[in-house]
Amino acid sequence: MSPRRRLARRRRLLVGCLSVAAFLAAWEIAFSTVIRWDPFFITKPSLIAAAFREQILGGKLWHDMAVSAWAFTWGLSLAVLVGIPLGAVMGWRRRVEYALDPLLTALYASPLIALAPLLIITIGVGITAKALLVFLLAVFPFVFNTCAGVRGTDPLLISVVRGFGGRERDLYLKVILPGVVPYVVAGARLAIGRALIGILVGEFYASSEGIGFAISRFGDTYRLPEMFVGILVLMVAAVGLTEVIRKVEALVAPWRLGQQER
Amino acid sequence: MAYIQAADVGLTFRPANREAVPALRGLSLEVARGEFLSLVGPSGCGKSTFLNILLGLLRPDAGEVRIGGRPIAGPASDRAMVFQEFGLLPWRTVLANVELGLELKGVPPAERHARAMDLVGLVGLRGFERHYPHELSGGMKQRVGLARALATDPDVLLMDEPFAALDAQTRDQMQAELLQIWGQSKKTVIFVTHSIEEAAYLSDRVIVVSARPGRTKDVIPVRLPRPRDYEMRLSPEFNELRLRIWKALKEELAVTRVGDVPAA
Repeated sequence: MSPRRRLARRRRLLVGCLSVAAFLAAWEIAFSTVIRWDPFFITKPSLIAAAFREQILGGKLWHDMAVSAWAFTWGLSLAVLVGIPLGAVMGWRRRVEYALDPLLTALYASPLIALAPLLIITIGVGITAKALLVFLLAVFPFVFNTCAGVRGTDPLLISVVRGFGGRERDLYLKVILPGVVPYVVAGARLAIGRALIGILVGEFYASSEGIGFAISRFGDTYRLPEMFVGILVLMVAAVGLTEVIRKVEALVAPWRLGQQER
Repeated sequence: MAYIQAADVGLTFRPANREAVPALRGLSLEVARGEFLSLVGPSGCGKSTFLNILLGLLRPDAGEVRIGGRPIAGPASDRAMVFQEFGLLPWRTVLANVELGLELKGVPPAERHARAMDLVGLVGLRGFERHYPHELSGGMKQRVGLARALATDPDVLLMDEPFAALDAQTRDQMQAELLQIWGQSKKTVIFVTHSIEEAAYLSDRVIVVSARPGRTKDVIPVRLPRPRDYEMRLSPEFNELRLRIWKALKEELAVTRVGDVPAA
């Protein structure tokens, strides 16, 4: 990276941090001095920070995070394992796509969270129901993006590889697979957002532990600072996971970097 | 006997649910080993189709094409194509793109690396080995395309309007370099182009292909001395040659109706 770009990046980071700090400060000051407030209905950063400290020290937060992360990991892994092969087959075999597309599109478009009560009735409260909800929400971006990636394979590149004596296997490994990777990564970005919703809603309905349960319980009992701790954890997780995806993309598709920055 | 022989080659595309399109009908030609042959013809006359038959990607449904006496059974390393739209794999560096053909042939990594480095140098891209295609200009991309085709050391170089996507100056430069490389390697080149001037400047013979379905309309020998240079294009002999090709082509252009011309 050139020094100039590094400088621009550092400035960007600085301005971004300042903006967040300004927002928190404004929030704190507004409810400390300007507005008369009722701690029953609203809270402020200093109280949230105190609650955060308490939950960390008490060990409860770690437990909730572990519980949520476990179901999240299961659901998302299952979505990857099912979604990518299914999307690949749909992209490769027209007839499979014709058969599955209406159903999958309808499911993708509809708010699948509505199925949460059903899952609990059939499966019961616990990690399985939560993981399944995560899976249901996260699988579609993988299916559709992988399908689009396979479909988007440049026929010229197929001709090139075949023209140089490539066999069927070479077409898969040297043209289709590398071409699909960026699509899958883009799908993963969407899937992570949806999976977080899945874990949250799953724990609202079908759990007695986890971050979502903590948010719901603290909300029900008007303990707003504690509730915000849960929300904060989710936000940090979302940002962190997006960052991980970006790193993964840089690792598996370095040729995309220059194209995106432009 | 000629090195490449095409006798009455015909091919009709039969896309599903659409009318059949006869691309070639009765295309015949012979190419000597080491010859530089150009094919010119109206858009959609089947020139590119013919190259794909030579490469082994398409099979003619009439006639026969032989190389070195043997009929073409499919792609093989005695032939390589340079594509109009370059066809570089965007996820591969310059070097890895040049290595593609060697890799598919099963050449060990160290050997293909060395070979690819040589060719990157030959086409003037030293220092760009680690660049990705999107970081290169059109001319540089086609240099990679040329290096990739030369890497497997084919006897026949098939070039499908390789310089059509380049600006005029880059094009002139690439033509000169191609002539130089051809002069050293003495490969057989079959060069498809829309440009009369390009065909006349580069070739030993120019074949004018008729409007679709393509067949051999005229064979025009180019008796300009080699090595050729840019000034030669201003000579009366060169202009006479251009006129002759143009006249043969003109009748065919009149045949090609508007709306009858597919893209590319």
